[in-house]
Parts: sequence; C-alpha cells; structure tokens
Amino acid sequence: MSVLSINHISKSYGKIKALDDLSLHVPEGSVFGILGPNGSGKTTTLSIILDVLQADQGSYNWFGETPTYLHRRRIGSLLETPNLYHYLTAVQNLRITCSISGRGSEADIHRVLKMVNLDERKNHRFSTYSLGMKQRLAIGAALLGDPKVLVLDEPTNGLDPVGIAEIRELVKDLAKSGHTVIMASHLLDEVEKVCDHVAILKRGKLIASGAVDAVLSDEECLILNAADNQLIELMQGYKDISRMVDTPEGIACFFDKGKVSAADVNAYCFNNGIVLSHITMKKKRLEEKFFELTNE
Amino acid sequence: MIKNIFQTEWLKVKHYRAFWVLLSITAISFPGVNAIAYFAFKNAAEGPSQGGQLMKMLLGNPFAFPQTFHTTAYLSSFFAFIPAVVVIMLITNEFQFKTHRQNIIDGWQKSTFIWGKFIGVLFITLLVTIFYVAVASTLGFIATKEINGAVLDEKANFIPLFSLQLFSQLSVAFLLGLLIRKAFIAYGIFIFYTFIVENILVGIFKLKAKTLGYDYGHFLPFEISDRLIPVPPAIGKFNEVDYKMAMASIEQHVYYSLILTILVWFMAFYIYKKRDL
Repeated sequence: MSVLSINHISKSYGKIKALDDLSLHVPEGSVFGILGPNGSGKTTTLSIILDVLQADQGSYNWFGETPTYLHRRRIGSLLETPNLYHYLTAVQNLRITCSISGRGSEADIHRVLKMVNLDERKNHRFSTYSLGMKQRLAIGAALLGDPKVLVLDEPTNGLDPVGIAEIRELVKDLAKSGHTVIMASHLLDEVEKVCDHVAILKRGKLIASGAVDAVLSDEECLILNAADNQLIELMQGYKDISRMVDTPEGIACFFDKGKVSAADVNAYCFNNGIVLSHITMKKKRLEEKFFELTNE
Repeated sequence: MIKNIFQTEWLKVKHYRAFWVLLSITAISFPGVNAIAYFAFKNAAEGPSQGGQLMKMLLGNPFAFPQTFHTTAYLSSFFAFIPAVVVIMLITNEFQFKTHRQNIIDGWQKSTFIWGKFIGVLFITLLVTIFYVAVASTLGFIATKEINGAVLDEKANFIPLFSLQLFSQLSVAFLLGLLIRKAFIAYGIFIFYTFIVENILVGIFKLKAKTLGYDYGHFLPFEISDRLIPVPPAIGKFNEVDYKMAMASIEQHVYYSLILTILVWFMAFYIYKKRDL
C-alpha cells in the first residue's frame, strides 16, 4: 500500500514552473529520498503534500484517502527550516506541537528531547540555540508521539558530522521499526546510506523513481586488470559489452543490467590466453547517477 | 475545539514577555491618563478661581458616577493603539518565524489558525475592557459624594460600546498585520494611518460634506468605531448641537462597527485560506 500517492501535480510561481506533472508513490515502510538540484521542486513537493502550498493541478492522497488536516496530525514534519517560537524554550515549543497535533504527552516531550540530545538545554529559549540545535529541536517536534510517517526536508541542515551520523542512525532505526520516512536532501551520500527508494527531480520534472538499486543499476560495470596489453582488444569482442573506459583502477567494462557475470568474463579471458590479476563488479554510486541524470 | 484553540494560543503568549509588558503598559496608561485628567479637573474645580467654580457648577464632575463610564472610555480610547501594537506583533511574529506554517503542518486547518487569532483579539479586548471598567469604577467611587444604585449603571452602556470600539479597531489592526506580514512596516503604516492620515481624511470629508451631500468620513475604518464614544458631556456642552448629534448617531455606529468587524474577519479568513503559506 502507498502511504502517499502524488498524481500529476503541477505548480507554477508566475512564469516559473516549479512542478510539472509530478507523480510519485511512496510505499509503506520505505525510506523515500527526494533528490534534485536547487530549484528542482523538492520543497515545493513537500509543501504541497503538507497543505502549505496549493497545487495548480493534480492531487495527492495520504493513506489512500483524500487528505485532510487529520492526516497531517499523524505525520511528523520538518519543512525547510525549523519553524518554532523564538521566545519560548524547547519544552514550551513542543507543548504547542502537542496541543496542535494531539501527538505526544509531557513524558514524550522529555523522551524526544533526550533522543535529539537537547535535554540539557530544554529550558533555554529557542533564540539562544545554534542552527544545529534548532534543527534537532525541529526533528524532535516531528518525532513527538512516534508518528508512523515522517516528512523531513533537509534534516541534516546545519548539523555537524556527529549530528549527521546521529540523524542517519535515527532514520535507519525508524525504518527498522516500520516507520515510513520521506526525506528531501542534497546529500547524496546520506540518501544512498539510508534510503531504499528514491525520486530524482530536475526543474520540477521527475526524471527517475523507484527502489534505489533499480534506479542505480541500469547498467553494470566490471573493473578488470591484467598484465597483458591485449585485454582491451580481447574485451571488445565480448558479447553484450556496451562500452569500455580505461580508468586508473583498471579497464571499466559496462554491460546492460543482468547481462554479465564476473565468472563468465574471467573464463572468457582465461580461455583466450589472458590471466586477469583483478576483477571486481563495481556498483554505480548514487552521486554518479544523480549527475548523469541531472546534467544537461 | 475552541478549548484546544484557546489552550494553544495561551501556550504561545503565556511566556511571551513582550506581550505581557505591552499589556502592562496599557494597564498603566489607562489609570495614568484618567488620573491626570481627574486631578487637573479637581485642581481647577477646587481652586480659588471663579472660573473653576463656574466650571464645576456648569459641568458637574465628569469622573463621578454615572459620567465616569463615558469620560473614562473617551480618554482611555486614545491608548487603544497599544493593544493594537500587541495584536500586530502577535500576527506578524507568526509570519516572521514561519510558525503559522508549522501550525498548519502540525494539523491545524487554515481557518483554525485565524480562529486562534480571533480568540486572541477577543481575549485582549476583554482584558483591556476590564482595565477600563476598573479605572472608571475606581474614579467613580473616589469622585462621587453620594453613591446610590440608580446612578451606578446609568451610563454602563459605555462598557459594551468601549469593548466594541476596541474589538473593531484591534480587528482592523489584525487585518493590517495579516496583509503586511512584516512587523515594523505594519506598525509604521498603522501609526501613520491612525494618527495622521485618517484624521486628515476625516477633516477633508467634513469640509466636503456639503459638496458630497454626506460626511463620508464616518465610514473610515477607525472613525466608524471612534464615533461609538463621542466626547464626554463636559466637553460636549461647548457645542451642544454637535454633541447631541454625536450621541444620537451612536446606535447607527454600533451597526456600522459590527458590519465592518464582520467584514474584516471574513476577509481575514478568506485571504488566509487562499494564500500560499
């Protein structure tokens, strides 16, 4: 079942088309990453599904139902920047979140403050917090009442490396316990480490979507090394090879997905008199794929 | 639902020092301005000069029951701009720190957010009305020589009139904050308009009343409710014709003020519903 379905949503700001016929489906229990360069429509997408912006066209459903404010109460959300009352403390701010959403309790407030390492500063005003602390408090607010769905827009903004690692572990733990996490991020490495599904946007259009492995592995790559200079010549005659690149690591041979086996290539080389000194299957990284898709 | 809205709005202001400081200033300004006027009158009336004696004889004591409700309402209304600043601050804060967006994200409907502010404006009106009644009653008890039940509530109709005037003016201030969104620009426009622009317009419309066939200055956003509390009789006696007309038009202005206030809140709900946050 899809927790969230976005159907043909478009949104323009004057002449600028921020979203163009976007459709997405977020499976239940997934960690769904929304990627894209600046201005690609990530925050606009999240703003629409949280009813902060109105779409010009299209629709979306939460939990298979027409969205209402009651659905938003079941979703923990952090959109763009931490939006909290600067003159109130962490505890006082979280009480407001509890009061509006109906999620959480006084005990829960203290639980989430411990989770985001703000327990010692819980009675300090929000205005005295560093950017990282503000971000952690906003994440804490989203976690109140342990919602089964979380929408996190750039959750690691302003965090130091330790904070980033903590949020990564937190998202992994949430996924393990059956939560659905929808997160927009610039940090491709982070998304690759925690997300199992991904959507890549460019200028408001969806250019790739699906399980991370499926999006990444439209082709496979073998890195080969041999003492014999004839390796390139030999591999040019191998069936199903699409292209070859000489890299510092060795000869990178690309094949269509599912069309290659390292054992077959090894046997082919050996049978033709070349002994490979190195053979590895290289997985394409999300960063490579991202640039491949988003570059002109 | 209303309980939840009130509770949430209370959580927002309960620990907001600027809110309480400004309300305290309002609470101090009311007895302040009325006490200044009271002592000025008392000194003049009890002084040895014949003018003072004559004034006392002609005017009576404007701070004694039942006139105190009228006089105090009139003088206190000059300080309505302080709670108006509080109202502008409360709404523009929500935009400045984008907390209004978070309220919607966390599960409020857009209309619930505006209802929250409506309740807030109502709450401020109630508090300020209590300040006014307290000041009016205190001065009344001090200034009245012989108190009997009949005079106590004779002019008590100025209590709801004061409330309506304040609520109407705070509502207009709220709409201004909602439209402008930036605190200092909203304060600037509010102060400039209420103290300068509208007074000039009222004067112009008064001058042009014969040409236009009617004094349309009555319908300016603050003038509509300013006319709920005409000058007190002590001052009105200097121009009895105008005073009587002003007193006679109070009822009309109750309706005008109600219509304006309803229109203001209707616009607030509509604008916020249609606006991207």
